[in-house]
Amino acid sequence: MDRRTFVKRTCLGSAGLLLGGVSDLAADGVVLPTPPPIDVHEPSDSKPSPLRMPGLYPGRVIELLDSRSIVNNRVSQPVISVMLERGIKELTGETSSAAAWAKFVTPADIVGIKINPSGAPACCSSPEIIKEIIKGLESAGVPTRNIVVFDRYAYEMDIGSYQTHLPPGIGVVGIQESKLDASGYDPNVYCQASFFGEWETRSYLASLVTQRLSKIINVPTMKDHSAAGVTGCLKKLGYGTFNNVARSHQSPYSFTEPLIGVMCSVEPLRSKAVLNIMDGTRQVWHGGPLTQAPQFIYPAGLLLVGTDPVAMDTIELQAIEKKRQQEGAPSVWARDPKSITTDGREFYHDSTKNLFYRQPGHIAAAGKLGLGVSDLKQIEHRQIALG
Amino acid sequence: MKETNISPGMSESPTAETDWVTLLHDSARSGGQKPQAVPAPVRARWQARSAGPVRSSPILRDGILYVAAIPGIVHAFNVETGRAKWTFQAPGQIHSTPSLSGNRIFFGCDNGKVYAVERDSGLPAWEASTQGEVWTSPVIRNGLVFFGSADGHVYAVELDTGKERWKQTLDGRVYSSAYAAEKAIYVGSGNGSIYALDSASGKIIWTTPTGNGIDSSPALSGNTLLIGSEDFFFYALDVSNGAVKWKYETGLGIMSSPAVFGDLVVVGGKDGYLYAWEIPTGELRWKVRAGQVITSPPVIGESVVYIQSGGVVALDNVSGKIVWEAWVGSSVQSAPVISGKSIYIASNDGEVYALE
Repeated sequence: MDRRTFVKRTCLGSAGLLLGGVSDLAADGVVLPTPPPIDVHEPSDSKPSPLRMPGLYPGRVIELLDSRSIVNNRVSQPVISVMLERGIKELTGETSSAAAWAKFVTPADIVGIKINPSGAPACCSSPEIIKEIIKGLESAGVPTRNIVVFDRYAYEMDIGSYQTHLPPGIGVVGIQESKLDASGYDPNVYCQASFFGEWETRSYLASLVTQRLSKIINVPTMKDHSAAGVTGCLKKLGYGTFNNVARSHQSPYSFTEPLIGVMCSVEPLRSKAVLNIMDGTRQVWHGGPLTQAPQFIYPAGLLLVGTDPVAMDTIELQAIEKKRQQEGAPSVWARDPKSITTDGREFYHDSTKNLFYRQPGHIAAAGKLGLGVSDLKQIEHRQIALG
Repeated sequence: MKETNISPGMSESPTAETDWVTLLHDSARSGGQKPQAVPAPVRARWQARSAGPVRSSPILRDGILYVAAIPGIVHAFNVETGRAKWTFQAPGQIHSTPSLSGNRIFFGCDNGKVYAVERDSGLPAWEASTQGEVWTSPVIRNGLVFFGSADGHVYAVELDTGKERWKQTLDGRVYSSAYAAEKAIYVGSGNGSIYALDSASGKIIWTTPTGNGIDSSPALSGNTLLIGSEDFFFYALDVSNGAVKWKYETGLGIMSSPAVFGDLVVVGGKDGYLYAWEIPTGELRWKVRAGQVITSPPVIGESVVYIQSGGVVALDNVSGKIVWEAWVGSSVQSAPVISGKSIYIASNDGEVYALE
């Protein structure tokens, strides 16, 4: 393997990792295919960081609620500023914002802010939050030129107008310009598995992550996901930094469990992703991740802050489930063959329909890989209402 | 409907009826469609592959279609055959829509430079430097080339040499292409403000704030400046002092740039609608859903409006009813070129089509 480590991650069976989903599965009588083994090829010289996931505060999730953060579908910069400052201080226990940010970054770091523009313009990482994160990083001494806002598809970032909103000097990078552009990926770091007999069985990690960035601040949104159940810290980080990931779904099945967790466990991604700030100003409770339908997008007015992606996604899953229940939509754990459709238009207009059997068990599976805490009883969930 | 001469004294206008020298035909963003509407295309006369995805708009002069692809290559295609006459490789990506003036083509590059290239040979003439990527389309007037940069400045350089005449900071990234009038240029900034700058000195004449950043490029109709904002509003300003004459709230932000014809202004919204207003009053003439998200500028003529939103959609000017649709290529952010009976479009998957 020539200075590379070839690791075969233990592939954990789906049913054994579900949180309360086992009986539903049995009742529905749906038998899901067994996931294939996933081989991980990562640099042998990667040194795990003490900040690596689950990070400095395993199991801790700070939830900030302020209904004024989103009014008439517009995010309020001043309200977000207060929410984020309070959240980062509460997470770290520091009394100053600069000291709180300094827990995660140093002036020598090259910091990537991993945004989620898929679903733009209706629901994507709010530029207002990104601007406040930039201020926080600068307060800790990170030079403007060392900050890069990035995601996978450049054209989705264009639609979100991130370039326009951000201060001059901040790098804005799309890893891929088009669906088949693989030039931005590191050929030496990948996950390999054959899910459905696809011709390309590898997914490569972005060179930006392996070679340029030293820290990553992950800024996912709160969304239902037709394949993964929900998409939050884990899904956005794994599927937004590796390529060739759509191959893990083929109607009606998805191998997002266990692929999402395995990807997030790959070094150096695991060590560099030191903080998650989840944008819950808007929540997509059906049709995620790409829906533009306003009836499925709820102005929740939330921010979640934490270092533990598993704990944060567990809280997100609870919130999406609650909203779906309120709206009369089936649980994301439900596996009803009658709900499956291959017609995207039907899925985007009917909350009882889905494209795949969702895999919300991917969160607990990631917990089993050591990425965080998925047991609600062990999660320190601090809820702060600001307005 | 009468065709208003909205840009007296513009130095850059097409020399032939079939020319299309910059974004939306000419520096006035008039759209350029002549009274006769182009019928629904039935075939691709040719299809050519560019070096990669294209998000800028093609331009055309003397039978040559110039297409700037994101990987940094400008192609000069013969419109009769679809064959490349020359290509120019820039050192960075290109998102900027080129402009033509005389024998040169001008465009911005992500390496922070603006290039002037000889349009007959593809050989470089000069380059001008900024400190940020240049996605804006250079605008030429009275011997100067005006462009904005992501470094937060607007620049004026000499047309012949590229030598800097002035630069003005706008306190925000500039992705809005300037409108150049006789004595002033108008442009939006990422800080959410619309500016009027003195063409000769770059000094700020007036500033009008909006509620969010500006991607849209302004158009001018008489004494009314027209531009969209990411704050969901479309603005009509008094060009003499920046006062808001009227504004209209859409469903989401506006990245698309407006096109004008007579008293009508048309723009696309990220909410997927195409909007048409009466310029003097701000009265909505029609509003039609033309895609899921519209970010490209429309092209407007006496009877028809064209918009790229995954394909080309043609709508009746008066009613907004869809006349025809041509679904080719992947999602498209650039604007079409209408010339004679042909429509030229470039797509996000790198294909260039000549439809007729």
